[in-house]
Amino acid sequence: MIFIASTIFATALAFTGPETSQPKSEKLVPIEIELPKPMFIGTPQNIGVERLEKPLGKPRPPFMAPVGTKNVALGKPVASTDEEPIIGEIAMITDGDKEGIDGSFVELGPFEQHITIDLGAKYEIYAIVMWHYHKQARVYFDVVVQVADDPDFITNVKVLFNNDHDNSLGLGVGNDLHYVETAEGKLIDAKGIQARYVRLYSNGNNSNDLNHWIETEVYGRPVKKDTQ
Amino acid sequence: MHTDEAVHAIKFGALLEENKYRYDPHEYHGPTLNYFTLIPALSVSPRKLAEIDERTLRIVPVFFGMFLIVGLFLLKNGLSRSVMFFAGLFLAVSPAMVFYSRYYIQEMLLVSFSFGTIVSGYRYVKSRNPLWAVFAGIFLGLMHATKESCIIAFGAILLALFLTGTLQNRQKGKPFHFGFKINAWHILIFTTTACVISVLFYSSFFTHPRGILDSFIAYKYYLQRAGQNSWHMHPWFYYFKLLIGSKHSAHPFWNELLIVILSGIGLTVALRRKQHPQMDHSLLRFIAFYTVILALIYSIIPYKTPWSMLGFYHGMILLAALGATSLLAIKMKNILRSFVFLFLVLGVSNLLVQSYLSNFKYEADPSNPYVYAHTSRDIFRVVESIEEIATIHPDGKNMLIEVICPADDYWPLPWYLRSFPNTGWWNKVNFSQPAAQVIIASPSVESELLKKLYEWPPPGERSLYVPLFRFPTELRPQVEIRGYIAKDLMDLYVQSHSN
Repeated sequence: MIFIASTIFATALAFTGPETSQPKSEKLVPIEIELPKPMFIGTPQNIGVERLEKPLGKPRPPFMAPVGTKNVALGKPVASTDEEPIIGEIAMITDGDKEGIDGSFVELGPFEQHITIDLGAKYEIYAIVMWHYHKQARVYFDVVVQVADDPDFITNVKVLFNNDHDNSLGLGVGNDLHYVETAEGKLIDAKGIQARYVRLYSNGNNSNDLNHWIETEVYGRPVKKDTQ
Repeated sequence: MHTDEAVHAIKFGALLEENKYRYDPHEYHGPTLNYFTLIPALSVSPRKLAEIDERTLRIVPVFFGMFLIVGLFLLKNGLSRSVMFFAGLFLAVSPAMVFYSRYYIQEMLLVSFSFGTIVSGYRYVKSRNPLWAVFAGIFLGLMHATKESCIIAFGAILLALFLTGTLQNRQKGKPFHFGFKINAWHILIFTTTACVISVLFYSSFFTHPRGILDSFIAYKYYLQRAGQNSWHMHPWFYYFKLLIGSKHSAHPFWNELLIVILSGIGLTVALRRKQHPQMDHSLLRFIAFYTVILALIYSIIPYKTPWSMLGFYHGMILLAALGATSLLAIKMKNILRSFVFLFLVLGVSNLLVQSYLSNFKYEADPSNPYVYAHTSRDIFRVVESIEEIATIHPDGKNMLIEVICPADDYWPLPWYLRSFPNTGWWNKVNFSQPAAQVIIASPSVESELLKKLYEWPPPGERSLYVPLFRFPTELRPQVEIRGYIAKDLMDLYVQSHSN
């Protein structure tokens, strides 16, 4: 009996189907979706640089460093191969102003130039963050970051970053990728290396042959005496 | 396809399908490219953009690039056979000339029409035949109807005429005149023809008279842009840097040094007093002045794109041909002549190899100096992914696709997705309509898109989306795009491919 009742119920359900939940008088109509046409644009910006880092597509996550690590380059003296910049002053490179606007950057002469920051003492360096120029998406060439114990870069010289792929600076062939300048700056992992002097090279950019610096931050902490 | 090519292609699509062209004075230049493309598109049926491929479009600049070679024969009374031979050879192997002869933009048309104006003008001066005045007028009108920068070429032609006349007459001790008598009727024929041609094109063949006025208003916008668009601001030596050589490790050393060196020799030869046998000295001087003036003006203007140099580079090639001819004409020992010959053979071979590499191997590689903001090869993976999904979608190519990129920076996707009619192009996430099952978007809108997908629909109707592309994908260097697909659709695709 139960079997017969179940069969009748199932058969009725199969005939009614899902339409039982829909009032018979209600018709389904296609919804017109408004699709905008493409808007024309002009010639896009050219970043004609090979071996270029792919964009991250999101803000860079914060880096982790030991307690007590801070920007030890803030307000420290800076020397430059171009002692008389075209725009700005060398001291602006460690003044804490990272804005991309006019008045915040130093323009050094064309071709190979470098700046050297004297941290005043030996530090355990965990990261270096640098901003060349980010008002425009630019790529600076032959970016090399070195640290050393002396201002002439003779003792304990270490290369932390080098994208001079054809060794045009003569410091060795670098395998790091070119990168596009952004407001985030370029973060370089210094792996806790100990040094007093930081030197940063560049050799023009994809827009012109000049070199620009907005700011350089060196994140470190004083070296403990027993590890020196 | 470069973004600019894709923009012109889509604009051509409106002309092809709706018989509609409206000149925009703000951007995108004149109408000749679009109208001339109708000729190769005649063979396409039905008249739909989806039926057109890159070859149909690019055959137009190819034709005008070839005209620069064939047109040399019209100067047979002014140039020697040797100069014509070398000019034709250099035009055929120059990487810049070949590369941009395959680019669906206006530049090669402008260079050809400028050359046509000069050739017709020269033939008129020599023959006094009004028919050449008509041809000169046609080419001048076409120049105007091609690109706003024609005004630079007009100025260079006039100034070069003036300087040629001044120099010729000063050396003969005569007062200035252009070197030919001006017939008022012929001038009238010339200017009327030029105006008629320009009006025909800018008025979209009398269907849009406003276009005529806009063709002059355009200069206001272009003058503003010449000094303001920081993206394309380059130093004065930018073009010469492209030609002399560019440093890119592990890639060919791109340069057109042969033509640069020979054009320097040709320039010196053209401007000296000594007459050349079998050649018209005034024509050579005109070409020299025209080239130098154009090069100076284009170098001074801060707004630079690599294809803009083609006008003066064409002049440099003609001068280089004169330089090569003059080098070989110098009386010298056979051994020295063999070295000159070897230098030319090696130089031409180098250009030929570079031409092949720049067009068929490095055509989208940033190390190629003529690749400028070019589309990444990733575009083919994007299109392939979407076409594969269309094969299993119930609506096929009529499936809905949502493209969201701020500042409308989704080009050249409209060209590559031209056979998907239900594609919507947005510059921000649109919350007023349900999400499509296939979405292409810039990473910068991802958080907004997630809101639309997972917060906006009522609970129970929030389809899960998964990435469409397996790898990071760029439209151009540093311009990433991401693809998203409803998981139901992706499951259907996976099942259909596993069966």
